[in-house]
Amino acid sequence: MSFLKAQKPFAARYLTLSVALSAANGLLIIAQAWLFAAIVAAVVVEKRDLSGVATWLAALPPLFLARAGLAWAAEYFAFQAAARVKSELRARLVSHVMKLGPVGLAGEATGRIVSAVTDAVQMIEPYFMRYLTAVPLVAILPLAILVAVLPHDWLSATVFAVTAPLIPLFMILIGAGAERMNQRQWRKLARMSGHLLDVIQGLTTLKIFNASRSEAARVAQMAEAYRRDTMTVLRLAFLSSLVLEFFATVSIAVVAVLTGFRLMWGDMVFFDGLFVLMLAPEFYMPLRNMGTAYHARMEAVGAAERVVEILDMPVPGSPSGTRKLDGGRGCAVRFDGVSLIFPDGRRALDGVSFDIAAGERVALVGPSGSGKSTIFNLLLGFVAPSAGLVAIDGVPFGELALDDWRRRIAYLPQRPHLFEATAAQNIAMRLDGADVDREAVRQAARQAQADDFITALPRGYDTPIGEHGAGLSGGEAQRLALARAFYRDASFVLLDEATAHLDADNESLIGRAVDQLSRGRTLLAIAHRLDTVRAADRIIVLDHGRVVETGSHQDLLARGGTYAQLWSHSREGRIEP
Amino acid sequence: MTEIIRLLKFFRVYRRWIALSIALSVAAIAANIALIATSGWFITAMGLAGLAGVAMNYFTPAAMIRGFAIVRTGGRYAERLISHEATFRLLAVLRTWFYERIEPLAPAGLQAFRSGDLFTRIRNDIDRLELFFLRLFAPAAVALLVSLMVVMVLWLYDGRIALTQFGLFALAGVLLPAAVLRFGAAPSERITERTARLNMLVVDSVEGLAELHLYGQAQARAASLRALSDDIIADERRLARLSAISQAGVGLAANLAMFLALLLAVPAVALGHIAPPELTMLALMALVSFEAITPIPLAIQSLPGTLASARRLFAIADAPPPVRDPLEPVPVPQQGDLVFEGVCLTYPGAREAALTDIDLRLAPGRRIAVMGPSGAGKSSLVGLALRFWEPSRGRITYGGVALDRMPSDELRRRFSVVSQHDHLFTATIADNLRVANPGASDADLEDACRIAQIHEFIVAQPDGYRTYVGMNGLKLSGGQARRLAVARALLKDAPVLVLDEPTEGMDGETEQALLAAVMKARSDRAVLLITHRPVRLETMNEIVRIENGRVVR
Repeated sequence: MSFLKAQKPFAARYLTLSVALSAANGLLIIAQAWLFAAIVAAVVVEKRDLSGVATWLAALPPLFLARAGLAWAAEYFAFQAAARVKSELRARLVSHVMKLGPVGLAGEATGRIVSAVTDAVQMIEPYFMRYLTAVPLVAILPLAILVAVLPHDWLSATVFAVTAPLIPLFMILIGAGAERMNQRQWRKLARMSGHLLDVIQGLTTLKIFNASRSEAARVAQMAEAYRRDTMTVLRLAFLSSLVLEFFATVSIAVVAVLTGFRLMWGDMVFFDGLFVLMLAPEFYMPLRNMGTAYHARMEAVGAAERVVEILDMPVPGSPSGTRKLDGGRGCAVRFDGVSLIFPDGRRALDGVSFDIAAGERVALVGPSGSGKSTIFNLLLGFVAPSAGLVAIDGVPFGELALDDWRRRIAYLPQRPHLFEATAAQNIAMRLDGADVDREAVRQAARQAQADDFITALPRGYDTPIGEHGAGLSGGEAQRLALARAFYRDASFVLLDEATAHLDADNESLIGRAVDQLSRGRTLLAIAHRLDTVRAADRIIVLDHGRVVETGSHQDLLARGGTYAQLWSHSREGRIEP
Repeated sequence: MTEIIRLLKFFRVYRRWIALSIALSVAAIAANIALIATSGWFITAMGLAGLAGVAMNYFTPAAMIRGFAIVRTGGRYAERLISHEATFRLLAVLRTWFYERIEPLAPAGLQAFRSGDLFTRIRNDIDRLELFFLRLFAPAAVALLVSLMVVMVLWLYDGRIALTQFGLFALAGVLLPAAVLRFGAAPSERITERTARLNMLVVDSVEGLAELHLYGQAQARAASLRALSDDIIADERRLARLSAISQAGVGLAANLAMFLALLLAVPAVALGHIAPPELTMLALMALVSFEAITPIPLAIQSLPGTLASARRLFAIADAPPPVRDPLEPVPVPQQGDLVFEGVCLTYPGAREAALTDIDLRLAPGRRIAVMGPSGAGKSSLVGLALRFWEPSRGRITYGGVALDRMPSDELRRRFSVVSQHDHLFTATIADNLRVANPGASDADLEDACRIAQIHEFIVAQPDGYRTYVGMNGLKLSGGQARRLAVARALLKDAPVLVLDEPTEGMDGETEQALLAAVMKARSDRAVLLITHRPVRLETMNEIVRIENGRVVR
């Protein structure tokens, strides 16, 4: 709630404008009621004909046009208010997600982020467009009407003045109850409304277990239960609009009847009576609008929570220095007593120390959760250590200019991501559609053993790939990612070997390309394969966030420690799942 | 248009609720019109009586005013309850219908809809159709009925007023919104298209976040997402401007109706055709009756989207089932050899064949391991055995009977399967397990979970077997979800056990323990173990290696 309010400044100017225009429109309503009453009174009481009221009548059309114009502009500026907030929120969400990086975002389902950026931001719109524009008018318009009515008819003014505060009072009482009930029901309702989609996604599983037909009955049952539960909430929620409707309608009836009798008894002038009757429905209109907008508010609050959840995710620290490394291939890496504890208390690394010389090939080995990926994330600058020192070529990591450092890295993840762009753009990593150096891209692809299959794609290097484009096999995706690494000519290679077994062809192709890539560069690999481990100059064995052993393959086997144990679990040259 | 007719057919079951809801809504609006019009008539008549010093019957109109106020208030509340009741009942019908239509399609016929993006679209489409009655059909019906009633009442007093009123109703309720719709078509289309693109780019960015940072593209990507969002908002602004026109238009038309009624009625009063109190009444009626038209512009704006949703859902629901059951099915043998003879499979639209010339025989009680790299076509064997797909060439038999001669539901009873994409439902762990066997006792569940090495984990949860998992529940790791899937498969008592990568995402120790326990507990079953990991193969009778869709020896 407070989050939504905090967004108000972005929209303040447009909100004020919209409310001011609506208020002006409200004043014109009073003028219109006055003209209408004057015309009818003149015709009915003074028996004037059309020419007798022509001046007043002639004033009406321009008045109507002015009102329509004001209504249009008020609506437009209300949208502008919401648009500012939407644009601002999306920008903040996007930049926060970027700041979080893969480590800060870990564990968050992609779908939740997507729905926050698109749907949730969209659902906040009515709060600014409807609710915030309706609230100030509740204070302004009824007061203006009251002031207009009072000199003509103090009794009706009293009816208005007494009922007006009662309406919000009752609405708040009932609304609070409904909201409490709503929140209690929310999880249940969310589960029920998501049931159909859940079942459709699990249809294959249901079929495998011969449960798909009987599930049809459950779909109906769930929908039925959803109906019953929602109706229980709605019966109460609708009460607030019943109260509003009751006071507004009954007050109009009371004003009409009281006015009628005073007219008959001669206690009142006809013009005054009609003028007041015309304004009676208008008096309650702003309240009614707010009642409708109140629902929009409840929805927006729910949506805002989803946005806040993401904006509140803590950004993991990352270096922000300015020092650039000297040129040249290969760089030395030093970890000195590095520990990393996540905000949730998880200890990912516990006093890790090691040195990697420039040009050395080192393999990281250890069971899952032993800290291998954390070491990668530290080197990639996605997270900063809680204690200890990481240094590159003797420069403390915190002093490095991150952009410059990253430009020196070639990173090959287990499952490289292919972007929604052409093959060439994916290799050059120019996703914004800028021109890429064709020859360099091809050269890199050749070195990565990827030229053949890319050329065979329907549009060669211009074929769109990614989820919505040509589907590439796991091995092809790996080779394309390798081409990226060749293209940027990095000095430090971080390789996270794929655990999924590739076919023999792909494996040897990739092996050859990695071999070439690591020539003259520093290589740090999370290794799963015997070839990689054997080719390494040194193996660092991790367990529970600590370095437990280092040495060559033969040394470590001879020692009979963790590495030897891991090794004994393996078959066919695989040392870890 | 055909979509609307088809949608209306769903209404037939609940036509009484629908009729009641519309009747109540008409009554509530009509009561409001009558309340204001009668009040106008009443005070004018009373005022004239007071001036003339004559008495008049004020009981009837005063009682009518009170009556209309009550009908208005109660009718509004009842109408909202009933219309929502009707909506939720229609929802149940629609959901059940849709489920029953797509059930036969899974999984082959839904292949194209597998990505999450399309599932979300199905959900949005269904949500939109559910509002068809509440936001579109009911307001349109009510507007039509009320405006006809008003025009008829006006006709009783003055034909010209009735006709102008009719014209203004048509202008504000049909012509203006239709024009807005037309001019808004292009921006609407762009919004749909760009929103889909925004969705796609956000997915792309989140999944490729590491690469974006490493290749210095994060800022540029953030900027292009912002630009795309602002492009969408710019089109929304165009639409908002247009929709504001049609909303302001309703107000303008209402005022004009009042103005024209005065213009036409004032001379009639002078001529004595219309009594003075009727002047007030007619003018107010002309003005207030536009309450029925107010929701129409928004309703009409939602029409194209609703129709598009309907079209998409009907297209999915009308797709022919990819695998048909035989007309004269042969009973499925209790036990028998599962035999693949020269089987080939090419998925529709695929570049290459998934399987080529596969020969395989799984006899009762035998154990075969199918090995090979991922993507080699191993899992396609499972889809074929369960008759989710039909081979492009070759023959598959069970107990000597060709699969396409048996009812596939019955056939599947012979198989207990851990598939690669086993779904965990948003339900408790126990409910998820009982999908395999609704009659399983708590002890059965625990036995299966012990074998699958997941019992300890489950009892460590605060709610134990009643812990919610799935989309809105406890997040399970890949390995935990697999173990649950294995436990589920064990609960189904079938002669053939198919395990497709059952230990994916588990550490070596758990993997060993799980496979050992499963093989021991189900020593009498035929087992088809599909894996790329050479673990515990000593318990297998035969090992088949598949690469690039072919058996290699």
